[in-house]
Amino acid sequence: MSDPRDEAARLYREHGAAVYRRCLRLLRDREAARDATQEVFVKLVRDMKRLKDRETALPWIYRVATNHCLNLRRDAARRGEDALEPALEVSPGAPPDGHPDRYPDRQLAQQVLSRFDGTTQAIAVGVFVDGMEREEVAEALGISRRTVTRKLERFLGNARKFLARSEP
Amino acid sequence: MNPRCPSDLALERHLRDPDRSPLGAHLEVCPACRQRVARMEAEGEEFRRLVYPATVGAIEEAAERAAARRPWRLSLWLAPVAAAAAVAILWGPPSDYVGQKGFPFTAWVAGPAGARAVPDGGEVPAAGALRFRVQPPVPCRLWVVSVDAGGQVSRLFPAQGDGGAEMRDGGALPGGAVLDGRPGPERLFAVCAPGALPFTRLERSVRETAGGGAVAVRSGKVLRGLPRGAVQATLLLEKRP
Repeated sequence: MSDPRDEAARLYREHGAAVYRRCLRLLRDREAARDATQEVFVKLVRDMKRLKDRETALPWIYRVATNHCLNLRRDAARRGEDALEPALEVSPGAPPDGHPDRYPDRQLAQQVLSRFDGTTQAIAVGVFVDGMEREEVAEALGISRRTVTRKLERFLGNARKFLARSEP
Repeated sequence: MNPRCPSDLALERHLRDPDRSPLGAHLEVCPACRQRVARMEAEGEEFRRLVYPATVGAIEEAAERAAARRPWRLSLWLAPVAAAAAVAILWGPPSDYVGQKGFPFTAWVAGPAGARAVPDGGEVPAAGALRFRVQPPVPCRLWVVSVDAGGQVSRLFPAQGDGGAEMRDGGALPGGAVLDGRPGPERLFAVCAPGALPFTRLERSVRETAGGGAVAVRSGKVLRGLPRGAVQATLLLEKRP
């Protein structure tokens, strides 16, 4: 049997960069992303078997990292900290102009995100920040496409109203 | 072709296996996505260079804790056997103990009057240049590493490769090391292993032994968790401004 420490170090070398990139994307702060990467991987190595499965590991890693970083952003917003609250840039892969899923702004503001539950936040980030298709979001988050559609529509409706109200 | 650019997750998949990635055609015609891939590669490099070395210890500890918890929960029926084994272990040496028979290991520091050998606990300039001489007892795979009060583990010899340098005869080692300029204690370890010893394993052992601040650097002299048959030598340097 291999040494769990060696195995964990090997898996961290293999997958750690993906976690770091994800955290950097969502937190937009190198220090915070470094700490979050460690915290996420500490969670991941509790299930080494799953981490070793090359086919399914990546969406799972993505999901755990996304949820962790969105929690950090939420906690920071609650504490009134600015550092982890920068708006998230809408991806070039996000739905284009005229598409029903088009988000009405170039940036996904924390004030908009924080009005929704964790799953809806992860869906919105998947679609607008990462430019994922609905099927891809469903696979990455381990939920049905129907749930993605339902929550996304509700998110868009409320976000549009909120952004319209906040316009000067 | 999907007119939309691929998602971050799709690009992550691409990075894992670019040769078999279905995104090659899109990347050829999309400068924005090529730029995204380049940025992701740079961030990956940043992870390998800066984040991994600073955080891998915590990951390894978490994995060990998780592994230790799992069989305990699953193997209640083995409890009587385990209890007997525990008694045996309590009376024997720790399972990860490797005897410190030691071997000659010397560091020289360059000075205005020429190089001088540094005694254990001796003072050296904080940014001093060092050379090393070792005399391992048997042919082996050699590592020379150091740890400072900040817990930073540095590989001093060999500079490249993994597993340690093959040593048949002792003598002065090629190359050397320049200290980082920060005053405080720095402990050197020379480890001579019978086979390839991955740096991650050695690094972990060094961090556990002497990676907990200045007191740990000064007192942590014996590396544990090394392969059976490995021998080690150590030297403490006190870096002065």
